[in-house]
Amino acid sequence: MLTLAIPATASTPAIAADWAAGLLTMSGDSYPENSFELFQPVIDWVDAYLGDSDRPLTLSLSLLYLNTSSIRAMMDILDLLQGAHDAGRRVRVEWLYDPDNERVAELAAEFREDYSFPFDILARA
Amino acid sequence: MNGDDGLETRVEALLAAPAHDAAALHVALAALYARYRDLAAQIERVTRIADRYQGAERERGRSYAVRYEKQLRQIEKIMRISDRYQSMLRDLNDRLHWLSLRDVVTGLPNRRHMLGRLDDAVADAKEGGAPLALAIADVDHFKRINDGFGHDTGDKALAALGHALCGLLPDGDAARWGGEEFLLLFPAHDLAAARRRLDALRAALPGAMAPLWPDGVPTLTLSCGLTAWRGDDDALSALLSRADEALYVAKRGGRDRLVVAD
Repeated sequence: MLTLAIPATASTPAIAADWAAGLLTMSGDSYPENSFELFQPVIDWVDAYLGDSDRPLTLSLSLLYLNTSSIRAMMDILDLLQGAHDAGRRVRVEWLYDPDNERVAELAAEFREDYSFPFDILARA
Repeated sequence: MNGDDGLETRVEALLAAPAHDAAALHVALAALYARYRDLAAQIERVTRIADRYQGAERERGRSYAVRYEKQLRQIEKIMRISDRYQSMLRDLNDRLHWLSLRDVVTGLPNRRHMLGRLDDAVADAKEGGAPLALAIADVDHFKRINDGFGHDTGDKALAALGHALCGLLPDGDAARWGGEEFLLLFPAHDLAAARRRLDALRAALPGAMAPLWPDGVPTLTLSCGLTAWRGDDDALSALLSRADEALYVAKRGGRDRLVVAD
């Protein structure tokens, strides 16, 4: 049972992974100088979680800005979820955004269009 | 299997001999036939293996092409999303820039914005020789509004004043200078023209503020210090000091008045 808790910095999001709850959350901006260093543990966590049991996984995102390499890493994570979904696993993404910034919702929709698992884009109350 | 054992030469010699040794020729031809059959089998085997390799290469080629296509699509998508993020950032920066130059209570340009505008206005006056005047206006007894009705009402009164100044002067010529002080710029106005303009403005103020003026609050008046640019040696700091001193005189003289720094 692995727990991941990466605190936010000025250029990286807060990342928390709860194995027991099957919940991975990321919130904030993401423009690290080395996105591999930041996201590889997250990708490893998702890989391990999906490989370990058949429990559902929710990816909860409150991300505002992502630089190019973070977008790439995010796609790698979403690809893992798609693979699990194709194999019959229950996975879902919820992307929360501030209704004052509709463009975040549009960007989340750009990510969503390649995937067939449940992917909700929700305005934060 | 060795092609250098002279079998072919022997067969040729037997065939060329005037009297055929039929038995020897038969044995030699049978050996030659066996050799060619083995060679054919070997070639067939090599061809089969080569075909298999080619098939695998084709498969691999196809799989590379599919992966390449997929990666190309992914890169295009990453670029598209990234470009949209860049444009979002650019817009947010523009908005931040705009906000950094605005006063949040009155909606007027703030002091930072007006300082830039004043530098430009003085530079324009130096270059073009056109007159320039400015005034500092201070709300009379503003503390009474804040203390008597609360800071919320004080902010509403300032917002009403900001709204009025916006309507009475060209965009960008009035700014919140600080507290309850406002800077009013009169480009291309000499002292007399600016004075007429400022008198008219002060007279029009109650009506212009009325739509946003908070209920039950006595209307406000302004004390103003006005000055004009005096030519190339007149620095902006000197202009501002004269306006400030004239404002001080207006305050001391009983408020609700305009004092001109001669």
